[in-house]
Amino acid sequence: MESKQNINLKLKVWRQKNAQAKGEFVTYDAKDVSPDASFLEMLDAVNENLVIKGEEPIVFDHDCREGICGSCGFMINGNAHGPKKGTTICQLHMRQFSDGEELTLEPWRATAFPVMKDLMCDRSAFDRIIKSGGYISVNTGGARDANNILISKVNADEAFLSAMCIGCGACVASCKNASAALFTSAKISHLAYLPQGQVEQNQRALNMVAQMDAEGFGACTTTGACSAACPKEISLINIAKMNREFLRASITKKEEAGGGDLA
Amino acid sequence: MSVILDSKVPNGPVETKWQNQKFNMKLVNPSNKRKHTVIVVGTGLAGASAAATMGELGYKVKAFCVHQSPRRAHSVAAQGGINGAKNYQNDGDSIYRLFYDTVKGGDFRAREANVYRLAEASVSIIDQAVAQGVPLAREYGGLLANRSFGGAQVSRTFYARGQTGQQLLLGAYSAMMRQVDLGTVELHSRRELLDVVTVDGKARGIVVRNLNTGELESHEADVVVLATGGYSNVFYLSTNAMACAVTASWKAHKKGSYFANPCYTQIHPTCIPVHGENQSKLTLMSESLRNDGRIWISSKKGDKRLPQDIPENERDYFLERIYPSFGNLAPRDIASRQAKFRVDEGFGAMGETAVYLDFKDSIGRLGEDKIAERYGNLFQMYDKITGENPYKQPMRIFPAPHYTMGGLWVDYNLMSTVPGLFVAGEANFSDHGANRLGASALMQGLADGYFVLPYTVGDYIANTTLGAVKTTDDAFKNSENEVKTEIQKMMNIKGTRTVDSLHKELGLVMWEKCGMSRSKEGLAEAIEKIKKIRGTFWSDVRISGAANEINPELEKAGRVADFIELGELMCRDALTREESCGGHFREEHQIDGEAKRDDENFCHVAAWEWNGTAEKAQTRHKEELKFDNVKLATRSYK
Amino acid sequence: MLNFLKSSVGRKYIMGLTGLVWVGFVLTHMAANMLILFSAEAYNKYGHALTSNKLLLYPAEAVLLGAILVHILCAISLTIDNRKARDSRYAMQPSGEKAPPKPSQFMGIQGSMILAFIIFHLITFKYGTHYDVTYDDVVMRDLHRLVLEVFQSPGYVTWYSVCLVLLMFHLSHGAQSVFQSFGFLERKMQGGIKVFAWAYALIIFLGFLSQPLYVFLIHKN
Repeated sequence: MESKQNINLKLKVWRQKNAQAKGEFVTYDAKDVSPDASFLEMLDAVNENLVIKGEEPIVFDHDCREGICGSCGFMINGNAHGPKKGTTICQLHMRQFSDGEELTLEPWRATAFPVMKDLMCDRSAFDRIIKSGGYISVNTGGARDANNILISKVNADEAFLSAMCIGCGACVASCKNASAALFTSAKISHLAYLPQGQVEQNQRALNMVAQMDAEGFGACTTTGACSAACPKEISLINIAKMNREFLRASITKKEEAGGGDLA
Repeated sequence: MSVILDSKVPNGPVETKWQNQKFNMKLVNPSNKRKHTVIVVGTGLAGASAAATMGELGYKVKAFCVHQSPRRAHSVAAQGGINGAKNYQNDGDSIYRLFYDTVKGGDFRAREANVYRLAEASVSIIDQAVAQGVPLAREYGGLLANRSFGGAQVSRTFYARGQTGQQLLLGAYSAMMRQVDLGTVELHSRRELLDVVTVDGKARGIVVRNLNTGELESHEADVVVLATGGYSNVFYLSTNAMACAVTASWKAHKKGSYFANPCYTQIHPTCIPVHGENQSKLTLMSESLRNDGRIWISSKKGDKRLPQDIPENERDYFLERIYPSFGNLAPRDIASRQAKFRVDEGFGAMGETAVYLDFKDSIGRLGEDKIAERYGNLFQMYDKITGENPYKQPMRIFPAPHYTMGGLWVDYNLMSTVPGLFVAGEANFSDHGANRLGASALMQGLADGYFVLPYTVGDYIANTTLGAVKTTDDAFKNSENEVKTEIQKMMNIKGTRTVDSLHKELGLVMWEKCGMSRSKEGLAEAIEKIKKIRGTFWSDVRISGAANEINPELEKAGRVADFIELGELMCRDALTREESCGGHFREEHQIDGEAKRDDENFCHVAAWEWNGTAEKAQTRHKEELKFDNVKLATRSYK
Repeated sequence: MLNFLKSSVGRKYIMGLTGLVWVGFVLTHMAANMLILFSAEAYNKYGHALTSNKLLLYPAEAVLLGAILVHILCAISLTIDNRKARDSRYAMQPSGEKAPPKPSQFMGIQGSMILAFIIFHLITFKYGTHYDVTYDDVVMRDLHRLVLEVFQSPGYVTWYSVCLVLLMFHLSHGAQSVFQSFGFLERKMQGGIKVFAWAYALIIFLGFLSQPLYVFLIHKN
């Protein structure tokens, strides 16, 4: 699969002027692509040529280009972030592709993620899910000494594995139901694994699940597509944990469900 | 006319300055706080923490970010860790030692009082982060784990694998989103600051471009906080994210904020080397790798052998050789420079521009599992980018632009020379002097946002008469018109050069002439070249699309225009600073490859004042630096 | 409680719970019907015992009927929501290591086919031709004879087998995801549950399949 020679590719790219416009696929050639270039660098070069030709470059969201900010992401041949597991598009390198391949690039498609332009879509629904309860209600100042809270390494590690989510939306994009269960559950479990997060865990689960539904994401049917597409390989067990948290919260009396700002 | 800048550092011993300052501050009545609007631009560690905390206090906060989500700010990419003077390891750490290390690490070009306050706050930051649920690494007993970092001989760095920045940012972001939920913070995403509006000499608002619609919007406030990060992207290739820009700071500079020490830039020693022409950015490999990795090159010039074929006795562990006491943990500026010297002399790995970072010994000592647990994600990232497995063969690394110590000048209260305009985090110049030590950027961003600004902003509001302003006032309309005119001007050029090509050209000049080592001739030459690039930009740039829609080319163009002007100032600053200190290395001022400071003539901050147009060079002002606690001495890590 | 039922997670619990009722039923149904391999008398007596106690039969039937109705209603309402959540389709489907397991993709189609099968199955057997037989002076239905008749038709056996395959896939995914939906899943259980669910589904499939095959191939009338 690995090639040292430069390659040529055909790109079928979704072009859509704005949120209201109807989009369509347009074919472009990507010529003389270095196998060491990242996928986005390949697109940069295509765009550079488009600008010179007086055409509008392909718009895609991107920023850190080291796989952590969560900005980038679109479908390459039906795979969110492309064919390689545990990788964001910005970290996907052209040595994964072979000469002459045709690649279809599409934006994330979900009702809750409307396309803004070309390969860029609006993922602010995720912020609203976090806003509904993805936090611990502590004001600045007055926190007790960090070592006064003992956390077993196992729980700290589990919490970290859930907290690794970069909010790119690949889970939603790859789910046939456009479910945000993996994203939402990762935050719920991250905080539920930690003693600090347990005070508000019931109300948090109720609010975040309600917001997730209100945003118009679908339900989880446990296909596992989300976890397979996740660049941070967040596990499905987070969804199980969310469901458990949600059930417990639902059968807990309201006044016991935790208060604070979350109520 | 050069003015002496007043840093407003309070009197008294360094240990009590901040305590006293806090006590002497005037307070804003809790019920009055919601009548005051604070604009926070940028939602990285400094911005998000400031917005959250001031929201909690009851101010009406408006937060702005260029990203769609505030969580995407580039603080997210910080890998290694955050310092906290907790002395949990019982290895002799203290606030004073962190203060001392940071002042020394900054090569005696930082303001002592600020650094002490930073060291003090470091302790509370760790507590705050843990309370928010940031999953910092733990030992089996449930206590927090630490690791050591460059420039320090104690273990005071807290971390969350190689994703410490992400975890701390998500903590600050979630704290801010909680305030958004409570209605104290109003979030404006996909907005780029294009002007700071002043009324009666005070910052009273901003003009932003809505990146989704292209519309210009004005927002008024009593205080404007800029937390918009650094300017390493002036080099085009850097470890910064693509959207990182100097634009917000530069617009403030043009409205009267002095720009301090622009030539202090940090070239990070451990990055993945450049691989090709189309490369858009460089990727950092956390400095924490130097804890367990050994840096070496072949002791033979032009050695093209594979690293595994070079026998132990033909390897030069040059950092361990030159700096026996700090070894591979020498500060970043020194480690970078030594790597550059070796490569310049022709010792580069396989004859290329790189040196080796080798984990063979520590894998042998600790086992692959332990190394994977510490650096797994970094190794994976290296593998993804280079296609090489660092468990089996040494990494190849080379220095790359990473952080900028310079920034808008601020006083002790983090207020710039424009009253009401505060600057936090990497965007200001204050705490790192001429070189930043590892794991202290996260610390500074959060210290400014959580523990400094909420006090000093309140003090400013309580002490200042702030008349009512409206976005329909002339000041705002004029600003909007100026911005609109400039955008139109750019769009109308319709030349032949793409924005990226100009940016690359600028970056190359900056890297070669104003990078790891600088000379008088080189800098003078660079200034001329940059002027030419500026000319080309304004006569021949080509921006596709329209101004009233999503247009990344236009966004980039505006940022590059500002980088060009900044580049010139950086060179001028480097040219005037006739000494070597920290990241600023002048070839004329060295002793055997070590920086030679000139404390007699340059123990000061250089702060530049904008003179109305880019054609007119900025005026240089000084803030004298006094070292009452840490004795001025030649930095030695030997 | 209403909020619980309205939420996507709540409805998944209900689907899991009602699914489990049938998971249990299918297993006992399969196990008991294995009697056909051994003796007509035992088979018929078991059927008689099951249907003669109306006090137990009706509630059991009600539970089964209720469970399947609720299961279907939840499935329909979730499917409507899910369709709304993904309003446009991709030009290409995931492939390689990112493609999800196939059975999980077509639960709705499998479910509808299985429903059709159940209705057809009830018409054929429960409401099919009523033969009588007498054992120990007790007159009871000779279901054995009917089954033998029905399973002589190659068309029926084929259709029955196809439906069993669908049932197997449906159960394999259902039995796995019920742990997920109920939140029982822990990291170390992931592999085990998959094996368990498939083993269960395979036993059901083979058990049921052995009956028509036995009749069709060996026990000719």
